[in-house]
Amino acid sequence: MSTISPADTLLSVRGLTASVDEKTILHGVDLDVAAGETHVIMGPNGAGKSTMGHVIMGDPVYSVNKGSIFFDGQDITNLSCDKRSRAGLFLSFQAPVEIPGVPLSSFLRATLAGRESLEMKGKQFRRRVTELARELNMDTAYLNRELGVGFSGGEKKKVEMLQLLLLQPKLAILDETDSGLDVDALGVVSRGMDAYRKSTDGSLVIITHNTRILEHLEVDRVHVMVNGRIVREDDASLIPWIDANGFDTFEREAAAQLAAERETANDAAPARDAAADAVRAAAAGLGAGMVQSLRATLDASGAADASANASADAR
Amino acid sequence: MTKNRTEVADIDRSLYDFSYGEEGFERLDAGLTPDIVTEISQRKNEPQWMLDMRLKSLEIYHRMPNPTWGPGIDGLDMDNIVTYVKPNTEQKNDWDSVPDDIKDTFERLGIPEAERSYLAGVGAQYDSELVYHNMQDTAAKMGIVYSGIEEALQEPEWEAIIREKFMTLIPPTDHKFAALHGAVWSGGSFVYVPKGVKLDFPLQSYFRLNAKGAGQFEHTLIVVEDDADLHFIEGCSAPKYNVANLHAGAVELFVGKRAHLRYSTIENWSKNMYNLNTKRARCEEEGEIEWISGSFGSHVGYLYPMSVLAGRKSRSSFTGITFAGTGQNLDTGCKVVLGARDTSATVETKSISKGGGISTFRSSIVATPAAEGSTASVSCQSLMLDDISRSDTIPAMDIRAKDVNIGHEATIGRIGDDKIFYLMSRGISEEEARTMIVNGFANPVSKELPLEYAVEMNNLIKLEMEGAIG
Amino acid sequence: MDALVIKNANAMPAPTWSWLKMNDTKIAVPAGLERDCQVTIEAAKDLYEQHASFEGAVEELQGRVDAARGDAADDRAIIRAAQGADAGAADLDTPALSAYERRTALSQAAGDISADFETGVGRDARAYLNFLAGGTAVLATQPGDEVEARVNVAAAPGTSSSASVDIVAAPDSTFDLSISLDAACPAGQQAFAGSTLRVFAGARSHVNVTVYLTCGEGVTCVDDSGFVLDEDARVNVRHVVLGGAFTATGLAADLRGDRSRIDISTSYLGAGEDVRDFNYIVRHRGKKTECNLDANGVLTGTSKKILRGTIDLMHGAKGAQGNERETVLLANKGVDNKTIPMILCDEDDVAGNHGATIGHVRPEQLFYMGCRGLSEQQAETLFISAKLEDAALTAPTDEMRDAVVRLGRALVPDFEEEIA
Repeated sequence: MSTISPADTLLSVRGLTASVDEKTILHGVDLDVAAGETHVIMGPNGAGKSTMGHVIMGDPVYSVNKGSIFFDGQDITNLSCDKRSRAGLFLSFQAPVEIPGVPLSSFLRATLAGRESLEMKGKQFRRRVTELARELNMDTAYLNRELGVGFSGGEKKKVEMLQLLLLQPKLAILDETDSGLDVDALGVVSRGMDAYRKSTDGSLVIITHNTRILEHLEVDRVHVMVNGRIVREDDASLIPWIDANGFDTFEREAAAQLAAERETANDAAPARDAAADAVRAAAAGLGAGMVQSLRATLDASGAADASANASADAR
Repeated sequence: MTKNRTEVADIDRSLYDFSYGEEGFERLDAGLTPDIVTEISQRKNEPQWMLDMRLKSLEIYHRMPNPTWGPGIDGLDMDNIVTYVKPNTEQKNDWDSVPDDIKDTFERLGIPEAERSYLAGVGAQYDSELVYHNMQDTAAKMGIVYSGIEEALQEPEWEAIIREKFMTLIPPTDHKFAALHGAVWSGGSFVYVPKGVKLDFPLQSYFRLNAKGAGQFEHTLIVVEDDADLHFIEGCSAPKYNVANLHAGAVELFVGKRAHLRYSTIENWSKNMYNLNTKRARCEEEGEIEWISGSFGSHVGYLYPMSVLAGRKSRSSFTGITFAGTGQNLDTGCKVVLGARDTSATVETKSISKGGGISTFRSSIVATPAAEGSTASVSCQSLMLDDISRSDTIPAMDIRAKDVNIGHEATIGRIGDDKIFYLMSRGISEEEARTMIVNGFANPVSKELPLEYAVEMNNLIKLEMEGAIG
Repeated sequence: MDALVIKNANAMPAPTWSWLKMNDTKIAVPAGLERDCQVTIEAAKDLYEQHASFEGAVEELQGRVDAARGDAADDRAIIRAAQGADAGAADLDTPALSAYERRTALSQAAGDISADFETGVGRDARAYLNFLAGGTAVLATQPGDEVEARVNVAAAPGTSSSASVDIVAAPDSTFDLSISLDAACPAGQQAFAGSTLRVFAGARSHVNVTVYLTCGEGVTCVDDSGFVLDEDARVNVRHVVLGGAFTATGLAADLRGDRSRIDISTSYLGAGEDVRDFNYIVRHRGKKTECNLDANGVLTGTSKKILRGTIDLMHGAKGAQGNERETVLLANKGVDNKTIPMILCDEDDVAGNHGATIGHVRPEQLFYMGCRGLSEQQAETLFISAKLEDAALTAPTDEMRDAVVRLGRALVPDFEEEIA
């Protein structure tokens, strides 16, 4: 658990369980981020990191089954995403969604409209956006082009960072999971993060499985996520360790933990669910030995299932 | 106000139609009278409601104008209708009356002599009787009713179902030939699949139709109850030869909740045929209709199977191919009504024009205000095999719901010279290369057909392609 | 004047099922309007003084087309069928033609440019607009000229006005024309504003036409045009349809000259109970001709829209290409959007493509915009204001820009501020 006191907590996620299409992706996740802190969420592919970002932002694709999200002292668990944005949350996308028919500048202006401290008059707005574009080394001609349509990878990243700087959120979640992380994109994101930290005292949550993006960044906490659970939290020293050792240890521990949970569980069904999760993790690229032990887990739960059936038949 | 030139041309044409048409109508009036329709009904020993429906349809038929947007039907010999529907007239059913091109096709398809006359509908029917009865027995063991619609009308249990559904999907007011069908329909199939019953082999109407000698105005009524599953194959890929030159059948399909119906047809009529066939399906919640439709043959074709997606999450898919060769004007396509939440429809069609033939793809996608959350995608491709043929694409969309996504794509063009060159550089003759490419073009349809039908469709394309080169 | 209904307007050449009610439209000219002539045409004086005429240019082109035509009779089955009576099944080698196929085959056989000439809204509408205009302004260029002209049609409440203009662009000349139908007539009152245009685009000429329809709520608008393109002519058309209770926009183009090309981009907005009715007909007759039809619209309120687009790849148009694309955003439940993108094809060495995308703002777009603080309603408004902003920023004249801003103010709160 985080060491910060609740009073400082800007974002507080408690026991968050979320699913999509009746498939549970997050299992009781906790996360606390204090104002001004930089957190990193790491973990193997398919661990649920991106889902975490989207659920905190309120993506209607996911259903929250359990738990709560508090932001800036307010329960935002049931707020729509635009209200969360206006409360000061920000989620960067891998790339902006393409919106034909809407020029970038019109879109930006609309995102500012009605935000007390940020709303700008025409000229002021143009000046500010041009300034930020220059800071991000972005061609201002893009401002008149339709949002996301025909943008290069680097330009798309710049559009996201531009919005980060323009909206000055209290907390920004940067989802860089699938980032191609070519030098160009990496540079854009780093520049964006630096400028954000410099211009505001905002918090950062960086979602990644690649540590390169974290160079030159002061990280306060690292959270490791496996199979939809936070399995480890530590300070920045964890980053070089992960760099050297990868996530295998965490995955093994998680599988062992699941197995242990299964043994203590009275009901066979949840254990089988957990085992199925473990198999999914295996499919995501574990060693052969690992898969074997998972098979064993599955077989055992199958046996438990069978015995449950037998007793049901006996009744 | 000056008269639009187009309008003037129209008036000229209608005057011209009138002098021809009037004569036709008179003869028709003399031929197709309430008395004759009543006689048809009495001979079939039909219930009163059916006779009433026939008489009402006849009245509508006489009142309704011919369609003005489609291929010309001035050349349609209305005499044949009377000849066919008059209960007293004997059909000429002998091999000599089969046109030469049909006989030739049989020859070239490699169909044994003994089967040719049977496929042409003029031979002895023992084989098909047998196949039909075997099919019927197996289906019956599963509780499925598969019989002639006239026979079913004589059973009180089925008569009630038929009365409830008959010509409700295709009302006689729909168009002139639906009205004609309502007045003189004869023969056809009745299929009833009870709740939850899933038949794992296709029912094939070809055998039934031939066994009972029905043809021009057959009515097919299929009810697939909730959670049931059926594949029905209409016709056969060999040419159907019939004496009359008008075919105005009707197919009404009722797909229950979570039920699934696949309806496959290869319509390959002799080239003197005016094929004005009407097909329609209605799907309840989560029900699914799949149309597989091939149109070959006919002088004139009007064929647009329609799906009415009335229940939430119901689905329709349409896969069709049309091949218009010399002297043919085939106007085909489909209609879809997205009429409930979260429905979805896909349409994929291919059309091929060759030797001066005309192929028109015509469609309509209508999304009612109730269709929120629905999707439809239409894709049609047309292939021009020479520069004397015609191919038109006329897709209409009327969208009145908000949360919908409708996509439409169409392309038209010819076989790329580069493709021909590539194949020829590998030692394939030009004719073979073209046939190969056209078969590939038709593949999305043929892959949906049972193997023997797919093979015959490919053979048909091969036949059509012969002599395509200079 | 009595109420007048112009029938068969914006008719598509190849009709489909009449129950769809898409084949054509009726234009109801409000009753009791006073015929007025609030039309201004700004053009250099010498454009009026050329002794060229649209008919003359067509006749000259006809001469060249006839000379280039071979003597060989067209004996295709379709032509045979169109010229004779329908023999029905007695002649199995001759197809039975639809009324449209017969008309088009006869037109091909005759090859008469003048007889083939058409405008998009149609002959009756053109006759009425000519009557309102009282006379036609003929603007012609000399070879190599680069000129521009502006047409403005205003109509005060209770009146009707129309412009009638012929453009004859000499070879190698460039003509920029802007037309503004702008009548600030509030709801509850009625007015009629129209324009009918004929363009002869000479060999290698460039003709650019921009039409803005920015009328108020009580106005019926008709924008009618017909183009004939000579060899290598390039025509660019921009139709921006933002205002007017009922608008009919019709364009027909005859790509007669080889390698001629027309690009049409349409941007429309339907709000309130607006009706937007479009008809585009492009006839490819010359070799290697090209057309691109691109329409982009937003519908909100309970507005209705129909867009008919016909690309006709006619016999002889070897190497022709026609593309058609439409994107429609439905921003409200009550809208009615009809689209019918047609490709007619009577030639094999051609390429025709069309596509349409109709839909609501997609869930992932809504989520993205939500993440940046836009509610669903704000997102919808954004599409509308973006369209208006784009129209304002790209308006050819200050007056047209002002007209867009005026409309924008009525539709989007703080609109003027936004484009400052």
